[in-house]
Amino acid sequence: MRVGHELLDLARASGARSLFVVGIGKNVGKTVAMRAIYEAAVERGIATALTSIGRDGEAVDAGDAAPKPRLHLFADTVIATAQGVLPRFPASEMLDFAGLGTAAGPLLYVRVVHPGYYELVGPPTASGIRKVVAELSARSELTLVDGAIDRVAALAGGEDAIVVSCGAAAATTMAEAVDAVRALVERLAIPAADPREEALAIEGALTAQRAAQLIAARERRQVVVRDPTQVAIAGRAASQALAHLRIRCERPLRLIAATVASIGRERWFEPRAFAREVARATGLPTFDVYLAERAA
Amino acid sequence: MKAGALLDAATQHALAFEWLVSAVAPASPYGERVFAELRPFAAGEEAAAHARARAVAALAETIDAERLDAARDTLRNAPDAAGAIARASMGDVLSDANFLELQRTFDAIERIDALLAGALEPAGSEATRAAARCLELGRAGKFGFYLDDRFDAELAASRARLAQAQAELGAARGRAVQRAAAALGREEIAGDEFIVMRADLHGALPEGVRVVREAPTYYLCALEYDDRTLCALERRDAAADAVAAAEEAARAALSQAIRERAAPLDAAIRRLGELDVMIAAARFARRYDCVVAEPARENFLAFAGGRFLPLADELAAEGRAFAPIDVVLHDVAVLTGPNMGGKSVCLRTCGFVALCAAFGLPVPAARARVGLFGEIAWLGIGSEGELGGLLSSFAREVVRLREILERGGERLFVLVDEFARTTTPHEGKALLVALLARLRERRACGLAATHLGGVAEAAGARHFAVRGLRDVPRRPPGGDLHRVLAALASSMDYTVTEVTGAETPRADAIALAALLGLDDELVAAAYDALEERNRTQIAE
Repeated sequence: MRVGHELLDLARASGARSLFVVGIGKNVGKTVAMRAIYEAAVERGIATALTSIGRDGEAVDAGDAAPKPRLHLFADTVIATAQGVLPRFPASEMLDFAGLGTAAGPLLYVRVVHPGYYELVGPPTASGIRKVVAELSARSELTLVDGAIDRVAALAGGEDAIVVSCGAAAATTMAEAVDAVRALVERLAIPAADPREEALAIEGALTAQRAAQLIAARERRQVVVRDPTQVAIAGRAASQALAHLRIRCERPLRLIAATVASIGRERWFEPRAFAREVARATGLPTFDVYLAERAA
Repeated sequence: MKAGALLDAATQHALAFEWLVSAVAPASPYGERVFAELRPFAAGEEAAAHARARAVAALAETIDAERLDAARDTLRNAPDAAGAIARASMGDVLSDANFLELQRTFDAIERIDALLAGALEPAGSEATRAAARCLELGRAGKFGFYLDDRFDAELAASRARLAQAQAELGAARGRAVQRAAAALGREEIAGDEFIVMRADLHGALPEGVRVVREAPTYYLCALEYDDRTLCALERRDAAADAVAAAEEAARAALSQAIRERAAPLDAAIRRLGELDVMIAAARFARRYDCVVAEPARENFLAFAGGRFLPLADELAAEGRAFAPIDVVLHDVAVLTGPNMGGKSVCLRTCGFVALCAAFGLPVPAARARVGLFGEIAWLGIGSEGELGGLLSSFAREVVRLREILERGGERLFVLVDEFARTTTPHEGKALLVALLARLRERRACGLAATHLGGVAEAAGARHFAVRGLRDVPRRPPGGDLHRVLAALASSMDYTVTEVTGAETPRADAIALAALLGLDDELVAAAYDALEERNRTQIAE
C-alpha cells in the first residue's frame, strides 16, 4: 500500500485545496504523514506548497535535541518559512515577503529550485496561517500545513481537509493515546447545525463554564458555535460537554483520515492493534505510514 | 514624531497629539526611522519650519492624490534593507533574502522617484542604479530573486555536475529501495524509517535493510546503502559542496558590490525615509485642505477658518460639519460663551493649529499666521486625570498651573479651559484675573475660556465670545439625544468675535437644560430665580 497516495486521494476527494495535519502531541508522526502526502503529490505532478504552524523539518527537536524527520523538498515546491531558517544551500528563489514576523525572522515565500532539506517555521498566529494558506493556495494546487496540537484555531474559517495524527510519544498507554485522539476528533468533527431545529447560538467560544451552565440547565436545543475550533474545552470536560449537549456548528471541518506512529522515544505500541483502535475510536480511515498499511 | 518640551502629557491628550501623529505617520520602516527623529521647530527656526510646510504643500499641490496613494503603497510594501546594507558594509556575505530586500528597495526608490519626478529631490543615485544593475541578473519573475547561473560561470557548471550526481544517487538508491520493497513484499518503502512486522517476516531481513530498533512484534528498519550507492552519495556530497562554494562566491561578489556603495546606499534609504515622511504629510495636507501658515517671529497666532481635525473627522462620520473658527491672538485673551457653544473646541483648534505649525506642517485653516512657541500648555478641563485621586479637582488644577509657571519656558502659548470653575465664583474670578496678569507679565500668548463674568474687564484683557444660540430650538419629540444635538448644532452660532463694551448677560444655559430634557417646572423655576436675581442687582 502507498499510504501517501491513499491520503492524497482522500484529500482530493474531499475537494479541499489545503490540508492540515494536526496531532495529539509532539512527535506523533505529523511531519512523516505530511511528507508522505507531499511525496505522493510530487510524484503525480501536483504543484504543492508547504508551511507549518510553529517549527518543523528541523534536524533535531528544538526541545530535547533528539533527531526529527527532515523535509527533503523537490524543485518547484513553494514554501512559506522564516528567513532565519532558510538554508543558504541550495539557493532557492525568493518570491516575496509575507509581511509577517516569526521568532526566526520575517516570513518569506520561497520556491525550491534544487532539491534539498528545508526547515519550516510558519506564522505564529491563526490569522497569519489563514493569510499564508490563502497566498500559498494562489501559487499551488495543493497546500500542506504541518500543524500543531495547540493551534486548532488556525483551522477556523478554512476549507481545509484535516488529517489527525496520534502516536506513542504523546501518551503512556495505548488506551490513553486512543482516548486523546478520540477527544480531538470528537471536538473537530462537530456536525453541522440543522437549520430546521431550534438552536441556541453561541457568540464566540463555548467555554467549559458556559457548557457546565448549559448542562445544569438541561439545555435540549442545538448549541451552535461558528466552527469546531470555537469549542474551547479540552480533555474529559470536552467529552462530557459533547455527550450531554447537542453541540453543532455553522461550518463543519473536513476530517478525512487519521495516522498512527506506534514508535515513541520511550515506548512503543503494537502497530496493527494501535491503528485498529484508533480507527474504531475515530471512525476515520486510519493509516500507519511506517508500516505502509491501512487499519483493518 | 516626538512632542519634546513643546507639549506635556496632559496637553498632548487635550490637543489629540496622538491623532496628529497617526495622521502624518509614514508607511515604510525607512520613514519610521526619520519620523522618530522629528522634533518641533523652536523659536528662531521660523524659516526652516515655513520651508518645510511649503515643501509639503507644494508636494500636495503638484502630485495628484492617486500618485501620492501609489507612492504610499509602494513604501508600505518596501522591505527594510538597512540591516543588509549595514552588514555588507562590515564585510558580511549577505543571504538571498537580503538580496531580495535590496532589490525591492531599489525598485521602490525607482518607483517613488518616478512618481514624484520634479517635485522633490530624488532618493535614487548612480550608486543605487549601479547596485540594482548588479542584482538584476537575479530578478526572478517580476518581484523575485534567485542566485542565477548567470552570476558566475562556475555556478552553472557546478550545478550541472550536482544534478548529474544527484540523478546517479537517485537511481542507485531507487534500485536499493525497489530491491528491499520487493524482498519484503511491499509496494513501496516511504521515508527514512519503516516498520517490518516480525510475523510478516519469513527468515532474515533482506540485504540492505538494517534494524534501527527492535520491539517484541516488529523491527523499526532503515535502508543500508551498498558500496555503489555509498560511492554515488560521496560524489553527490562533493558536488553539493562545490555548488555551495560557488553560490557563496557569487553572494560574496554581490555583497562586495553593496559594500563598495554602502555610504551612498545608506544616504539613499535615508532620503527614501524623508520622502515617505513628506508624502504622508502631503496626503494629510491634501485630505484636510491645509494651508501654509505665514510665519510670525513673535508670540502670535491668527487664523481664519480654523478646524480641530479630530473633531471634524468625528462630525463628518456622523454627517455633520465642523463650524470653522476665526481667531487672532497676540496676548492672553478671555473667551466666554454658552455651554456647548464650542469654547473648548476653539481652544483646541488654537492649540492644534499651533502644533501643526510647530512641526512644519500646513495648518487646517483657510489662512493663518503662526509663531513658533516654546511650550503649548493646556490647563483645565481635560488635563486633570494624571495627578491621581488624592487631590480635589481644584487642587489638581492648581498643582498643574504651578508646574506650568515653574517651567518658566520662553514663548508660552497657554490654553486655559474654565480654570477654577470648581471653587467659589468670586475667588475663582480673582485667581483667573491674577493668572492673566501673570501671563501678561510673561508675555505669553493664549486664550482663557470661562463662564465667570467680568474677567476680561477686570484683567484688562481682550475679550472674545462665542455668539451662542441664535434662537432656542424646540425640544425634539422623544428627546433622542442625537436629535437634540443636531437641533442644537443648527441653532448654535459658533462664530467667535471680539467683544467690545460691557457683556450682555444671557440665559443660554437654562435654555440648553430645557432642550436637554429637564422638566418644564424646574426650568420655569430657574428662569424665575434668574429674573429675581437680576431685579435685585438692578435695585442695588
